[in-house]
Parts: sequence; C-alpha cells; structure tokens
Amino acid sequence: MKDINIVIEMCGSAGEGTISAGEILSRFMSAQGYEIMSFDSYPAEIRGFGKCVAHTRISSDPIYSPGKLADVLIALNDNHSISQLSALKNQGILIYDSQPARPHEEDKSVLGWVDPGIITYGIPLTMLAHRAAGSARGRNMVALGAIAAIFHMDKAGFTQSIEDRYSKKKKIVIDSNVNSFLEGFEWATKHIEKIDSFSFEGVTMPLQDEKLIINGNQLVARAALDANLKFYAGYPITPATKIMEILSKELPRHGGILLQTEDEIAAIGAVVGAGFGGIRAMTATSGPGFALMTEFTGLSVMAEVPAVIINSQRGGPSTGIPTKTEQSDFNAALSGGTGDCPRVVLAPTDTYSCYQAIVLALYLAEKYQTLVVVLLDFFLSNSIRNIDTPEKPSESLLNANIAPQPEELENYQRYKITETGISPRTIPGTPGGIFFSTGLEHDEYGRPNYSDKGHLKMTEKRFKKHGAVLSEAPAPQISEFDGETADIGVISWGSSAGAAREAVMLARKEGISAASFSSMMLSPFPEKELIGFSDKCKKLLVPELNFGGQFANFATHIIKRPLERLNFITGRPMASEDILEKMREM
Amino acid sequence: METIKSDYLDERLDQVRAKDFLKYRSGDLPTWCPGCGYFGIMDALYKACRELELKHEDICTISGIGCSGRTPIFINSYGFHTLHGRSIPVATGLKLAREDLTVFAVAGDGDALGIGGGHLPHVARKNIDITFLLFDNSIYGLTKGQSSSTTPHEMKTNSHPAGNPDTPLNPIKLALAYGASFVARGYAGDPEGMKTIIKQGIQHKGFSFIQILTPCVTFDKTNRTWKNLKENVYNLNLHTQADNMETAMRAAENEPFGVGLFFQDKDRLSYQDILRGLNR
Repeated sequence: MKDINIVIEMCGSAGEGTISAGEILSRFMSAQGYEIMSFDSYPAEIRGFGKCVAHTRISSDPIYSPGKLADVLIALNDNHSISQLSALKNQGILIYDSQPARPHEEDKSVLGWVDPGIITYGIPLTMLAHRAAGSARGRNMVALGAIAAIFHMDKAGFTQSIEDRYSKKKKIVIDSNVNSFLEGFEWATKHIEKIDSFSFEGVTMPLQDEKLIINGNQLVARAALDANLKFYAGYPITPATKIMEILSKELPRHGGILLQTEDEIAAIGAVVGAGFGGIRAMTATSGPGFALMTEFTGLSVMAEVPAVIINSQRGGPSTGIPTKTEQSDFNAALSGGTGDCPRVVLAPTDTYSCYQAIVLALYLAEKYQTLVVVLLDFFLSNSIRNIDTPEKPSESLLNANIAPQPEELENYQRYKITETGISPRTIPGTPGGIFFSTGLEHDEYGRPNYSDKGHLKMTEKRFKKHGAVLSEAPAPQISEFDGETADIGVISWGSSAGAAREAVMLARKEGISAASFSSMMLSPFPEKELIGFSDKCKKLLVPELNFGGQFANFATHIIKRPLERLNFITGRPMASEDILEKMREM
Repeated sequence: METIKSDYLDERLDQVRAKDFLKYRSGDLPTWCPGCGYFGIMDALYKACRELELKHEDICTISGIGCSGRTPIFINSYGFHTLHGRSIPVATGLKLAREDLTVFAVAGDGDALGIGGGHLPHVARKNIDITFLLFDNSIYGLTKGQSSSTTPHEMKTNSHPAGNPDTPLNPIKLALAYGASFVARGYAGDPEGMKTIIKQGIQHKGFSFIQILTPCVTFDKTNRTWKNLKENVYNLNLHTQADNMETAMRAAENEPFGVGLFFQDKDRLSYQDILRGLNR
C-alpha cells in the first residue's frame, strides 16, 4: 500500500497569513484521515514584521515527532526564508514567488541561496493573488493551491476546508480565499513540470471518526474541566497563559471560578486555600513563575493540602527564552523548595497524554492530599495534533477524597498515620471535624510538635504516599525487544519521548538492535522497571532538551551505571533524526 | 504540686465553660508572653463569634507566620497556619471556593505590610469577602525585636540599634488608598470595642480591614506600650459619616490613636457578587 510522510513549512512575515494557512493545511489533512503534527514559531514581540514559520508534518503512518527538516519550504517572504533554508532537506523542494511585487536584489532573493540539489518551483504568487482577488493578501492561499496541484491533493476537499475556516466571515472573504486557492491550483497544474516524487494520489486512508485538532494547552484546559476543576488561579506567563484564557471562558460555565492574581505566589496561595476548602484547584505557569511558587510547594506537602501546578517549560534560567522549548525544569520540579518534600511529578510524553496527566494530577492531589506538578513544555503546549477524542474520566477518578468514618471523628486525628500515608480528611463546614493545619512539624492532631521521633514519624508518613501512588500510576512505556536484549536502550521523558520512540523504530529498520523506555511518572519514579529495562540493554542513551543532563543524572543514580547523553538547547523540539545519528555512532 | 495545680485549672476551666465564655476557644493554651495584647484580641474574636452565633465548623481562621500566626491554634474553628505573609492569598482562595464559610485572615505588621505587603492592594480592590485582622505591635516579636514596617522612625530596635532609619507605613491610609470597603481600628486593651468592630467586619459584605493596636510587652519597652496606649487611645466617633473618604483620610493622617470605624462602603459589591453579575 502506498504511503506518504512529508514535512511542509511555510515561512513568511507576521501578518502574511502564514500561520492560518498552516492551520488550514493541518485541518484539511486531518479531515482526509492523515496524522498531522504541526508547530508554529513566531517572534516573542507582538508588533513588527518578524519571521513566522508554520511547520506541518503529514503522514499516513503514526507520527511521534514533528520532523527536524522540511521536505518542502514555501517562501512567502524571501528575506526570512533565506535563514529557514537550513531547515530544508538536501533534496528538498523550495516554492518561491517568481514575480514578487518588487524585484529582489540578488542577495535578498531566496533563490540566490539554494544549494544544488534543491528542487525549485517558481509560482507567481503575488500576480496570481492580484488576479484572483485584486490584492496580494491571498498569496498564502495561492501557495496552498500550488502545493495541492503539485502534490496531487484532493482539490474539492481542500476547497471545503478553506470555506470551513472562513465560514463565519463575509462571503467576499470566503470567495477571495477560495478563488486565490483555485488560481494557484490551475496555474501550477498548467505550468509546473513536476520533478519530485511526493504524491498523495493513490494513498488511501481508512474512513474514521472526525478527530480532535488540538494543542497541549487546549487539551489541558479540557481535561481539567472534565476532571471537575472548580478553581483556577494564575498569572499571565508564556507559554502557559492560554490555559488561563480558555478556563476564564469555560470555568464560569462549569460552576467554577477563575482568579487572576497579583503574582504567582498569590496564585498558588489561592490554589492551596481552595484545596483546603475541599474543591479541585490548579494553576499553570512557566519557569519564573514556578520559582516563585516554590515556597508553597513545601506547605502543600507539609500541611497535606491538595494542589496542582502545571509548569510549561521554556528556555531558562531566569526570564530565559520565553518562546522556545526546553526540558530544563526537571530538577526544580522534583526538588525545588526546602526540606524532605516528597511530591508527585508527572510529565506527559505527547499531546494525547496531556489529558491523562491532568486527570491523574487532580485525582492524585485530592486523594493523596499533596502537591502534584505537571511538566509540559513550550512544544507540548503549542504543537497541534489530530487525536481521538479522549474518554471522559470515570467517577472513581472524580471523587477521590477519603473522608473519616463517623467513629473516627470522636477523637479526630487529621494527620493520623496510616498504611498508605493518607489520613482521612474533613473539609471545612463538617461538624465535629474541626482541625488545624500548619507548615510547622506537627503531631497526628496537627498540633505543633518538634520532637525528633515525631518529625521522623511524620516525614515517613509523607514519604509513604509515594509507594501508594506508584501502585496506581500508569506503567512506563517500554518498546518491544527484538530478542532478549538490545544493544542500545533509549531512556527519555516528556516531549522528547516521541522522538526517542521514533528513533528506535527507525534504528531497528536499519538493523540496529534497540529499545525505548519512557515514563509519564517522574516522582515517584518506576525504578524497578527502569532497572529491569537497563539490565537488558548493553548501552544506554538519554536524549533531553537541557544542557546539564538533569534526567540523565537522575537515571544514573537509579541504574548505577554510566550512560550516553544527548543534549540540545536549540529551542527546537527533540528530533528523531538526531537521536538516530547518535545511535549509529554508539 | 503538679496535680493540684492542674486540678485547680480544670476546675476553673469547667466553671468558665459553664458560662459559655470559652465556647470558641480551643483546648490549647496560648503560647504568647504573659501580658501580650493578643489575649485581648482573642477575647474580642471569641465574643464576636458567639454573639453572631456562628457555627464553629463554618469558621476558618487563616494566618501567616509570626506571633499572630498561632491564632488559629487557639480558636475552635477550622484553622490553617500558612506561610509568612501569605494569609491573604490563601484566605482569598478559600473564600472563593467556599462562600458559605466565615473566613478570618490574620497577620502581624511584618506579615501583612512587609513580606506580604504586595497582596493587600489586591484583596482590597477585588473586595474579597473576608475579615482581615492586622495585629499591629510595630515590631518583629517572634524573631526577637527587629524593626517592622510600622516601627517608628529612629526607634532603637535589635536590627537598628542606632535607630530605625525607615519611615513607618500608615496601615489605615494604605487600606483606604487601596480601596478597602471597610476600614477600622481597634485596641487590644478594649475587647468590648474591638468585638463591636469585628462583628461589623464579619457582617460587612466585602473586604474588611481591621488594624489592631497592641503592645509587644517583651520587645518594645518604649513605643507601643500598655502605658502609652492607655494614655492615648480614644474613640473616633466617625460612625455617622463613615462613608466619607475625605474625613477618613484626614483621620488616618491625624489621629494615630483614634479607634473605631474609619470608612465603610456598604453599596460596593463583593468579588463574588461582581462575578455573578458579569457572568450572568
């Protein structure tokens, strides 16, 4: 059966419709039954003519990473596209404007910079846009029409997707976009002599239910609402702000409250307050905000009050690189703060598992009366996937608080030591259940107590929860082994896990014996499973998006043997190509 | 001897309990210094709760860190001793989550105006329906006598032995400027007067700011002493025109020892009422 796997990038200047054209392409391809993963990059500044890139990977097979290099670069803006050529494959295809409004000086034309081997298709984008709709604004649609013709995409379906995208606009807007698309399609059909081999013709995708086209932030908000979130407090910060914006609209409709606070300390403070009140509450932030929230992590764990913090990691430290992706808050999430402070840390490994992670986070925080940190990153927050609509959480995941039995209220011990470390918890308003919580070390009644034995007992109690959490945590994802063992085992976490999994699949096709391991659960960590995995691998590799190898250091402590590292801080998501190259060298 | 002493105490406690005075008091004995003004504040708080017939389980007392931080331990209600300076955000989240509860936020002068000073403007302008009690003894007590945000200029303290170089904040002026809808001052030596103010604060729908003048008998021997307070404190009697911001500001500036209600805006909607209006 014929298949296809192609990465298309459109590069333009802010305001040229680059991002919306990418979105239409993604929606159209998803409707056609293909898997898509797209990731836009745009400047951190709001105004100006910064460089925008809409990166879309389309495949007839499952996708695990966005693809490092593009097969096709559509240059809406020559100047910006010159710097984007480095992300085009050696044998890639460049589509450029052959009749720009003003002729370029030689060194400003993208065509002047292409390496031999690149296939170039010149399309008079500006001229055709004028012909179709009387202005240059439709150049992005002309370009879509051209690639539809060149790569034999379904013209009628594509037209429909454009109509759908602008369905709420005036008819003239719909018509000019559709006409521009058709103009590009007709022109390319007539004039382009195809010398590449990409074609969607003959690729048949099975009919399926309409997929959800969604990014991580949107899915997080959806999951939180489905998981009975009733309170959100937050402070704007890239790349987490969108979660707050979606919830600001949706929470009131779901009987909840959204509070925009004066800073991140107040945000987590209010979340802890709401958690003390017995409702599900969370906040979302990024590095600088997480640093501020650290003071409350200890209180949540010590006073045993449910709280969920989402940290969508960006480039750090300090203000760092706000619009680039990185995985450098692993250490901060696992151990930020002071004292022996066991908390739960989850990191979804792909867009789909963002949903599962949030449902689980709110459940675990409530049941275990503790802090749960969910690590996303800029890439997971913003990259768009088409996924099956997730199943709503079951009732048992929605009501997790363990309340005391009536007889336990006779001499109520809020911090009673139990097998699991969970002490039955009353919520304010419960007659006879009055208690006092404190960040001071305390006895089983909650009264301040600084005795050495008491401190040890209560610390052990708080650590006990880890064992219980692990017993109901999702198992790590471990790939199949070719035989009993593998030459290379790739251990990964967070958004790098997809690229790692893909790299292992590609390596095995090349005859390299390899296997992969990733775990959504970072704290407590499934140590036994990791040791079991590493025992079956001759060499180990940890790819991650930070400089110091934070997770690699952590893993070394568990498996007690050296491992190879692959670290990038380029601001781009992990690429399977890079991992594969490293595996070949190993 | 020990037994006799404890028997005696138990007996006395039973007698007082029979009179219902200790209904809102918890079983734990306060750890404050003998003669501390906070005992008077607690007395007023217990009485206010009793007279309003609040159910114990519907009261939540949230505190920060410092001598005032221990307050929730000594009141028979749900209590949460949080972080230094953070009683306001925690109380805010709790009240928004549970509108049915009466929420007290308690803080000292270091707690509320120093480390937690950034939260005060926002709880005031949002008009969160909590009652905020500022235990203002103008010194850091629990860390043993350093200057706080309300320590007088040039007063000698353990952090400024040559005299405090800073100009003190005026808490009432701040609360008024931040837009608090209820601003009052009480005096730890006058539990009856304070009780009335706290009751008004609880009943006020919105953010109630109550500064309480209280001595630190251990670390302040010169400024806010019982003697000075007794000699200087008087009733403001602004009640008839408590909706007048100009009068309130003038009193805040000129009457540092005047106690009573400075300002109240009864018409202003609380945060939750505003949300209900906006989301209708």
